[in-house]
Parts: sequence; structure tokens; C-alpha cells
Amino acid sequence: MRFMKMFALFLAAMAVTTAHAADKELNVGFIYVSPIGDAGYSYAHEQGRLVVDAMDGVKTSYVEAVKEGPDSERVILNMARKGYDVIFGTSFGYMDPMLKVSKQFPKTVFMHCSGFKQSDNMGNYFGRMYQARYLAGMVAGSMSKSKILGYVAAFPIPEVIRGINAFTLGAQEVNPDVSVRVVWTKTWYDPATEKEAAKSLLDAGADVIAQHQDSPGPQEAAEEKGVYSIGYNSDMSTFAPKAHLTSAVWNWGPYYTKVVNAVKNGTWKAESAWPGMDEDIVGLSPFGPMVPEDVKQKVAAKKAEIIAGTEKVFTGPIKDQAGTVKLAEGVTATDEEMLGMTWFIQGVVGTTK
Amino acid sequence: MNQEMIIPLLAAAIVSGTPILYATLGEMITEKSGVLNLGVEGIMIVGSLAAFLVAKFTGSPVLGFVAAGLAGLCIASLHGVVCLFFQGNQVVSGLALTIFGTGLANYLGTSFVGISAPGFSAVPIPGLAEIPVIGPIFFQHDPLVYVSYLLPVCLWIFFHNTRFGLGMRAVGEYPEAASAAGVNVQNYRWLGILAGGFCIGLGGAYLSLAYTHLWTNSLTGGRGWIAVALVIFAFWRPGRAVFGAYLFGGIMALQLRMQATGTHLPSSLLLMLPYGLTIIVLVLSSLKRERTGAPAALGVNIEPVD
Amino acid sequence: MQRYRVVKRQERLGWRSCFVFLVAIGLSLLLSALLLALRGTSPLEGILVLFKGGFGTRWALEDCLLKAIPLFLCSLGVSIAFRLQIWNIGAEGQFALGAVGATWMALSFPDLPAFILLPLMIAMACAAGGAWGFIPALLRQKLGTNEIIVTLMMNYIAIQLLDYLVYGVWKDPTSFGFPMTQTFSDQAILGRMGTSSIHWGIVHCLVLGILFWIFFTFTRTGFELKACGDSVRASRYAGIPYDRLVILVMVLSGALAGWAGFLEASATINRLQPSIMVGYGYTAIVVAWLARLNPLQIGITSFLLAGLRVGVENMQLDLQVPAAYGNIMEGLILLTVLAGGFFIHYRIVMVKSA
Repeated sequence: MRFMKMFALFLAAMAVTTAHAADKELNVGFIYVSPIGDAGYSYAHEQGRLVVDAMDGVKTSYVEAVKEGPDSERVILNMARKGYDVIFGTSFGYMDPMLKVSKQFPKTVFMHCSGFKQSDNMGNYFGRMYQARYLAGMVAGSMSKSKILGYVAAFPIPEVIRGINAFTLGAQEVNPDVSVRVVWTKTWYDPATEKEAAKSLLDAGADVIAQHQDSPGPQEAAEEKGVYSIGYNSDMSTFAPKAHLTSAVWNWGPYYTKVVNAVKNGTWKAESAWPGMDEDIVGLSPFGPMVPEDVKQKVAAKKAEIIAGTEKVFTGPIKDQAGTVKLAEGVTATDEEMLGMTWFIQGVVGTTK
Repeated sequence: MNQEMIIPLLAAAIVSGTPILYATLGEMITEKSGVLNLGVEGIMIVGSLAAFLVAKFTGSPVLGFVAAGLAGLCIASLHGVVCLFFQGNQVVSGLALTIFGTGLANYLGTSFVGISAPGFSAVPIPGLAEIPVIGPIFFQHDPLVYVSYLLPVCLWIFFHNTRFGLGMRAVGEYPEAASAAGVNVQNYRWLGILAGGFCIGLGGAYLSLAYTHLWTNSLTGGRGWIAVALVIFAFWRPGRAVFGAYLFGGIMALQLRMQATGTHLPSSLLLMLPYGLTIIVLVLSSLKRERTGAPAALGVNIEPVD
Repeated sequence: MQRYRVVKRQERLGWRSCFVFLVAIGLSLLLSALLLALRGTSPLEGILVLFKGGFGTRWALEDCLLKAIPLFLCSLGVSIAFRLQIWNIGAEGQFALGAVGATWMALSFPDLPAFILLPLMIAMACAAGGAWGFIPALLRQKLGTNEIIVTLMMNYIAIQLLDYLVYGVWKDPTSFGFPMTQTFSDQAILGRMGTSSIHWGIVHCLVLGILFWIFFTFTRTGFELKACGDSVRASRYAGIPYDRLVILVMVLSGALAGWAGFLEASATINRLQPSIMVGYGYTAIVVAWLARLNPLQIGITSFLLAGLRVGVENMQLDLQVPAAYGNIMEGLILLTVLAGGFFIHYRIVMVKSA
């Protein structure tokens, strides 16, 4: 009896897969560096893919947990050979393999996230997360009494360092003497270690915990200690209802929709796209009830300036930890300088090594 | 470093050592019976998922804790089938179990990522928690930590003062002699694998119910492998396992705290500390010519022919 | 009343043991197919896509071979140690050190001609990997320190060391701060064979595999190693220098893993970056034991396992099966093949009990 049921299921399953033969659809492939169950970075891209998948005439697929290096080259090649029209590679290490494959498949559109190389049919893109970090820093700086903020960070790469600097600048804007202490975990998602790192920051006197990690481990540490926290990737308020001030969040849906539409209409051109709050790629999740009205207003005003382009975040004078002037009065960092940022600004306690 | 830093550090050492301690003791039971199980990482992650899901859907962390043990026992029983019944190589079977367990947990668990479940939180023990220094270090944790205090003691009594425990040690040391004396070797080994799997599963539960109250892929983060190493480090003695687990957890917590207080050492070098120090401590105890106490028949299958 | 009894086979099964293997694989595929059916994916199509992705096309075969190369060398390495019953689980770290050693040479002497630079890189990779195997061997023989724990811990240390270098002194100034070295100079890159995507490392594998076989079959040391592996005490009575052999095998073992590290850095990635570490060193242990430490079987097993992993990616892409499914399948295959091995040595007979 049980066996018969299984068999029926088996047949039904076969019927389903043979039924949806598609005609003239745009095939879009995504490659993720971690499983979508990482709860963070790849999960955010996956949410973007689901938006694209719901579009008319578009079919999507993804391969998750693809290691950078030779494994990624194989997966990209495989997608290109299968006739995928657009391929999104969402990790920095996919850059060189993708460039190589893009030359062999000139009709396929390649999109690489977080890198800096491009070719005729390969563009790159990333979001100006540092803008959201800056606003999150303002919130954190306003709420801190000890003037010490804790930042649990994954790996000392420019993306993370840029975020820490922007966060610190935002905090200093509202609370000039504030310092930001950084702990590197050398892992993207290991909730227990990340929580322990947050606890060590709390023991060192921090009263707001921010994070560049995928898991909500640090949020829990803040909640238990009764201090505040700033999340990342997606709204993390469910993990720390009393502590969570806001999260700096990714919102890939609109951008992916835009790219896929451009390819469909034949208007796509390879470019280096770095959209920010103006396109709603990055933002802040709703504030927790403990954030006072005047802070909300200050942040809203700053957000308007960022969208209008009058606030660039990395505008001098900015000094590094040793006190050397890195950006002179009134000078704004170029995109290249921001992409390759490997130094901490004054006010950050920690090392980028 | 002053007292205000040291007490939280030692308390953190206990908390981060606890999941490793459960797993280490579990693996120790299995190895005492002469079976090497390298599947700790896989068993742990399945345990952590089972604990999380059961706690989520029944609302009871205690049930979750028990479920983790049972899930660990089920996964470990695969090891028993392959190694005890089919005489498979214990090294490969254990490694296969790690691959299988990790896959199974991620396969079943991915849709539950991003939600939180009820778990255990700190319950200071009245009286004991107020003792200066000792109290905050040992007696202001969650109930699962207190359970883990009792476990090594129970194990020690089990191995030294019960018929079952002595039988199990005999099976791990001299299976032929034990068999000749009328001890059923296979049954004892089954007991070792299942009881060990139960304990390892509990270690997983600690991660998803007490350390954090969530589940993600790779929640165990390599702790299962550390447990395998710590059994050897502990010379197969429960008391030394406690020392090893807290030492390892403590150094991990220490390096994070060194960063938090603003050290200038590169984080890569700091992260070498726990592993390097484990080797150094092991070398030092080797210098003292301590008896390592490895069960003589560890990893050796017993022919089923009767 | 019927009872079952396990009886040891008198004669060896020989080539017929292939059937056991095939039945075991078939069983695990059946279980995997069932799992696919349960989630509403067509199992037949699933298995088909898997095979096509792993072995079905020329590209697939090339990809498989590419992935099998480092796996083969690491397995060959650990199998030497296992023959002497030394539990080297440090191939991962020895692989990392090999990559570091090769990179050091590639970055220090980028302008040397390839016929000098490549051998130099190999030598340094083997020396570094060998040194990483030498330390636990020395500790084991001099102090009785357990090699499992030392090799395991040294894996973590090696990875942090690699990280330290690529995040620090070796970081490419043009990489926008990302942790990776410069691309190696052309002379430091081991080329590809003809129009295929396969690099010359495959020839290294063949040569090393044959040398390995000759070493164990024809040389005195090889024979001594075999004898020691069978019985340490007996060989000590026979005057075989056990301590020296242990150190020798660990160094050789590490050197082979280091060689694999060289190939990955030089031929496939063309630079050093943290993502070079994908766990070949751990998989190698599984391969070595499944292949019963035999070099030819290690080659076949590496290839099949690589094919499985490549094929599973294809399933992900075509059928939206999560990556974790691949792990479940791999675990099931290993467990059933392992259990199947039982029938090579034993059979089950039914007896009537009185």
C-alpha cells in the first residue's frame, strides 16, 4: 500500500517535470557562494532572484555553495553552454573566471557582483551599502551612552572595512567622541562564534553592537545583555525585539528586475553599476520603538541628502588611525578609492590585518 | 587584564566549551567501546536541527533537548550498521556520516532559517551563584551547562564502578578476552555507539537551544572535529575532557576579547592560538610521559563469524 | 526454525567483487531517487542529469579529471601513511603549505624560465608540505604525541598562515584590497594540454602513481613499509628502522599533498587565494580507504567522486535540487559501498537450528 502511494507520487512527479517545456523564455542563472540557508548574504540575493522569477517570460535557476576558483569557472561555463541568457555571479572571487568565460560566450550577458573588471558582455554591480551603514551609525551613535560601539566583522576585505568606516563616520556625526571597536571572526556564518565575539565587545564596554555577519548571533548577545543592536542583510528584529534599533538591509529585487528588463528589450550595455539608496538597493529596516523621534528625523534628513547626492559620506577631512590625512577638507573619495579601502579611519579601534 | 575582565572570560570559556564538552564525552563513550566515530560533526548538526524544530513546534526546549539526543542516536546507528554488522571501515564510515549528516540537516533545515525558537536562558543557582568569583564563573548559566557538569562525573562512575562500564572498557581493550569471558562484544559496541551518538546530539542541541536560539547551515562550525581531537587530548579520561573543552573554549573567547580590547596582532595569528596551544599542551603532557590511555582495540572491527 | 550465519568466504571473489560494488551503488542511487521523488522531482531525469553532468560530455569528463587531480595526489599521500597505520589527517594543511611554498617561489623569481621555475616551485611545495608532515611525525616518535590531533590542529594553523600571507605581505596591490596574490607570471603557470582544459598535472599524477607502485612493489624500503604496516612489533624484531620509516612516510605523504597544492595554485587558479582550500585533504581520506590504499583504485575512486560532485552541480542547475542533496547522496553512496564490502569477504548462509 505504502509502496503504491510512493509509486503514484513517483509517476506524478515525472508528469510534472515533462509538462513545463518552455518556449522563448529568458533564462537567468544565479551563482551563490554559500547555501541560501546562510540566512544572510546569499539569502538576500535569493530573495532578489525570486522577484525576477515571478516576471513574465523569465525562467531562473541557481547553483548554491559554489566555491570561488576552479569550481566557479566550471559552473559559469556550464550555465553558458546551456544557453543561459543572463548569468549573475554574486561573489568577489567569481570575477576572473567570469571574465574568462565571458570572452568565450560573447552573446551571453554576464553580471558580476562586488568586483571591478568588465568586458563587452560582462558588467559589474554592487550596492552602496556604506550609505545605509552611515545612517545606521548615526542611530547607534545617538543611542550610545558609553561612547563605545562594538562591531562584529567577518573578514578584513574592503567591503567590510568600508562599512565599518562609514558606520563610524555616521556615529561621529552625532556623537563626536565615539569609538568603534572591531572584532574579526574570520567566518561569514558561525552564529555561536559571532555571538561570542559580540559578548567580548560588550565586556569591553560597548553598548551598541553592529555586525557585518550573516547570522543574527550578535543580535542575541545584545538582547541578553539589555543593550542595543544594529542588524545586517535583512530585518533582524525578530531575534532581538528589545535591542534591535534597525538593520542595514539589501534589496536586490528592483535592480535585478531592471537588468533583466534591459536584456529583454535589448538595451543592456556592459557597465559598472553602483546604485545606492537612490535606487532603493540598500536601506534601513523599520526602527525599533526605542529610537526617539528626533533621531528618526535626523536620519531621515540625512537620507534625503544622500539620495539627493549632497551627502557623499566619504568627504574630507578624514584621517586614518595614525592621524595621517587621507582625504583633505572637501575632497570626496572616488569610487576606486572606496572599492579598494584597506585602512580604518580615526575612531576605529582594531586592525585591518 | 583585571578581575573585571577575567571573570567574564572564564564564564565565556565554560559556555563556549560546553557544546564541545557534550560531543567530546559522547565520542569518548563510543571510543571506549573500541569504535572510532569520525561522524561527530554530522551527528551534531542533525542534533541541533532536531532540537530546534522540536522546540519550535512543541514550544518545549526540554523536549527539543531530548529529541536532539534521539536524532543523534539515529544517525549514529547508521555507523553501527555499517561498522558492526557489515564490518565497514570505521574511518570512512565516520567521514561518510559527517557528509551525510551535514547534507541531511541542510536539506531539511534550509526552510527554517531566519526564525527563532524557544530555548534555555541563564538560571543562576540560588546560593551558589552569589559566591564571589566562583558563582559568576560556574553558577550563572543555563540549565544545560549544569547538566554538562554532572555528565563527566556520571561517566567516570559508569566506567569505573558499574558492570556495564567495566564491560565496555574490556571490549575496547581486549575484545577477544572479553568475548572469551562471555561478554557480548557486539552488544557493548552498539551500546557505545548509541549512547555516544545521544551525547553528541545533545552537544548540537546546546548550540541551537542555549548558545543561540536559531538554526543556520553549518551552525556547528567545525566543533565536531575539535571534539574528536579533544578525546585524544583528554587521554580518554572524562575529567581531562572537561579541562580540554574549557581550555579550547577559553582560548577562543580570549582571542576575541584581545581583539575587543584593541590588540594590534593580525587576526589570523590570533586565530591560530587555540590550535597551537592545544598542540603545546599535548606535547607538555607527553613530556611528562603520561599514559595516553587509548583503548587498544580502537578502530578494529571484530569478525562476526561464530 | 531458520537462522542466519555469517561465513567467511574461502576463496577470494576477484573480479566478481565488481558486482557487489555495482549493487551497492545501485542501492544508494535507488535511495537517492526515492528522495527526489519525495520532493516532486522526477527521479529518472534526476539520475540522468547527474550522469550527463558528471560524465556525459567531453567537457564534463574534462571537468571531472581536473577535479580528480588534486584529490588523487592527496589520497595517494595519505594512503602511504595509512599503510604504516599512521593516521595522517593533515593532508588539508599539507596541501595549503604546498600552495604557499609554490607561491613563494613564483612571487620571488617570476622571471626565471619555466623549466627552472616550475621544478623549483614543485620542490618548495614538496618541502613545505613535507615539513608540515615532518613535525607531527617527529612529535609522535620522540614524545609519543598522537598524530591525529597534531595533524588536525596543524590544518587549522596552515589555513590561518595562508590567510595571514594573502591578507598581508603577499596581497596584490592591484586587487583593490582583496586577499589574493598577483597572478603568477607565465613561466610559473603549468600549461594546458592542447585544446583541452586539462593541465599537465594529469601527467604528474600518472608518473607519481606509477612511481608509487614501483616503490611499494620493488624497493626494499617499500617492502619494509608493507611489513611494518602488517605488524609493527614483528618488523621491529626483524630489525626494520621503524622510527625512521614513520618520519619518511609522513614527509612523503606531506610532499604529495604539497604537490597537489602546487598544481592547484599554478595550473588552475594561477595565484594564491584563500578559496584554494576546498577540503580536498579531508575527502582524500575517504578516497584512500574506499580504494583500499591501492594507487590504481585511488585514481578510479577520485575520478568517480569528482564526477559525482560535478554532476550534482548539474542537477542543481537543471532541477533546482539544493546543494545539500549532493551531500546526502555522497554520504549514502559511501555508506552502502562500505557496507557492500562485507559481501566480498563473507557470505550469509541459512542454517536450520535443531
